[in-house]
Amino acid sequence: MGFAVEVTSLTKQFGQITALNGVSFKIQRGEIFGLIGPNGAGKTTTIRTVCTLIKPTSGSISIFGLDAVKQPEKTREILSYLPEESGAYPNLTGWEYLNFMAKLQSAPGTNIQQTVAEAAEICGLGDRLKDKAKTYSKGMKRRLLVARSLMTKPKLAVLDEPASGLDVMQAYHIREIVKRYVKEHGVTVMLSSHNMLEVEFLCNRVAFINKGQVVMEGEPRELKAKYSSENLEEVFAKVVGYA
Amino acid sequence: MLKGFSTILLKELKELMRDPKILIGMIVLPLIMFPVLGLVMGYAVETAQSEALKANLLIVNNDTENSVWTNNFLTYMNYSMNTVVVSGLTPQQVIEQGLLTQNNATMFLLVPEGFGANLTRHAEGDFNVTGSVTMYGVFNAGGGIFSGAGGSSVTYLVETFNRAVAPDMVNAAQSSIVKGQIQEGVDSSTLGSLMMTQAIALPLTIMIMLTYAMQIAATSVAMEKEEKTLETLLTTPVDRFAILMGKVASTIIVAGVAAVTVLIGYNYMLGSITSNISGAVGVNVDLVALGLVPSVGGYALLGVSLFFTLLSALALAVVMSAFSENVRGAQALVGYIYPLIFIPSMALMYLDFNSLPLAVQGIFYAIPYSHPIIASRAVVTGDYLTVILGIIYVAVFTIVIMYVASRLFATEKILTAKLAVGKKWSKKPNE
Repeated sequence: MGFAVEVTSLTKQFGQITALNGVSFKIQRGEIFGLIGPNGAGKTTTIRTVCTLIKPTSGSISIFGLDAVKQPEKTREILSYLPEESGAYPNLTGWEYLNFMAKLQSAPGTNIQQTVAEAAEICGLGDRLKDKAKTYSKGMKRRLLVARSLMTKPKLAVLDEPASGLDVMQAYHIREIVKRYVKEHGVTVMLSSHNMLEVEFLCNRVAFINKGQVVMEGEPRELKAKYSSENLEEVFAKVVGYA
Repeated sequence: MLKGFSTILLKELKELMRDPKILIGMIVLPLIMFPVLGLVMGYAVETAQSEALKANLLIVNNDTENSVWTNNFLTYMNYSMNTVVVSGLTPQQVIEQGLLTQNNATMFLLVPEGFGANLTRHAEGDFNVTGSVTMYGVFNAGGGIFSGAGGSSVTYLVETFNRAVAPDMVNAAQSSIVKGQIQEGVDSSTLGSLMMTQAIALPLTIMIMLTYAMQIAATSVAMEKEEKTLETLLTTPVDRFAILMGKVASTIIVAGVAAVTVLIGYNYMLGSITSNISGAVGVNVDLVALGLVPSVGGYALLGVSLFFTLLSALALAVVMSAFSENVRGAQALVGYIYPLIFIPSMALMYLDFNSLPLAVQGIFYAIPYSHPIIASRAVVTGDYLTVILGIIYVAVFTIVIMYVASRLFATEKILTAKLAVGKKWSKKPNE
């Protein structure tokens, strides 16, 4: 059985700016893979390229055997993407939003009502789903969106900063949702985060990205041991030469 | 002084003045737009004056007695205006023989049989007897707000004649010639001032409707970008053209409803004008028969013109907003289009489009947003070809814009490109 995601020598130029400079990594099926790096390191560009939103200047991306560069339409059928700090349609209710997205994301013949019910269960918003999204708190909105990105049981869920800006309890809830869903449904997750605690708690493996390149890849425990560090933050600082 | 006020004021001014969108939208554009409008209005007044100076007054003298008073009156009129005198003709014959065009006149004054005798009796003390003349003015339904104003100059001359000789000696009645038809008892200047509402109301309504609709469309796309719901949509297994068409189709429905709303309001307004005219002149004027109200076909064409213009404006708003990062930026970008809406709308309130130099007409024809205003005049005058050609032009313009929009949605440019003032297209990596 092949890898869920294989990214090889990915480069992306925006005019004179090199956003990605030979990024390569592999994600196993059913694992949670974390992409870690400072602002401007290339995390979002990598994610957007994997999600077929932007085309790489060179390099290849294989997602469950599909060439994401040459077969973007097919690739979109098996992935789900949660952008960083994204919102929902303010004048749609939570139910309407989930229903709308389920119709777009689901394969033909899928029971939409069942998919939406699944999302309602994941987010745990209960009766608040009948209210318009503009009345939701930031945490409620994020729970709705995480549920949206997992409800169709995609082969690959790409989550950009899934718990960014949330308080401890909300962030904990989101992480629990992701962990449970991966365990129950075998979904492969690729996520990016600044939060090293989040990454340690969630990810089976991580890749450090800096200045458009993957500088280190491995299991959090293995990396901490290798660099004699107590946490991933320290490992990252040592890898990129800050410490 | 409030503590910290000057520091905050300075910061706010820096923030505002360094935002090129605000600088251009609030300072540069008004500096360009209002002088352009001033030029247009100045041109309109100048044209109206020069045409009035060049135009002759045709006098149809049917008073066969050749009295002194008739001659005095005609001499007085000739002293004040360039007159051409003919005799022995009915008003219908004047029109049928094309004497107005032949004599470079837009109105004629009918001096009836017995006019001189009546003036003589008045001069001899029989003040109950007055001389009556009738002014027949051509009403140009396609003109701007100055249309139909010519008749008032003759009325003024008759008043000054009375003032110089004897009060109420000559009584001037007004009639109109609309599309070659004589409308007895209808004052062309009254007709003109009442139709002025039409000349102003529709361009104003179109101007408001277009700017409002563009803001809504731009906000809709920009909101999707700002909330990143567009990014989510673009990663779903949905045809990207379907996403674009979904947006445009919803705006088409809104545009259709808006066009119908405008037409209903416009029709109601014309209905009010008709009843006003009937009330004002005491005669029953059938504006439909006179061709001053569009026919059903004319309304349909006007509706189609409005619909395509709205569609093109909405499509352009969608494309422009794709190059902004947020709602504020999208609204500012769309604001750059407003002069192309405001200038034709306001200019065509004042100008008779057909009397403009060809080059200026060409500029107005090239602006898609001029077409419903041109069409609103053309359907009244029955010039349906101009309306149809305008619709075709705007439709082609819309197709081009839609093609550009579809190309944008098909590529990463929808997410990465932004229009920077003073720079070329630039792409911005997120991280």
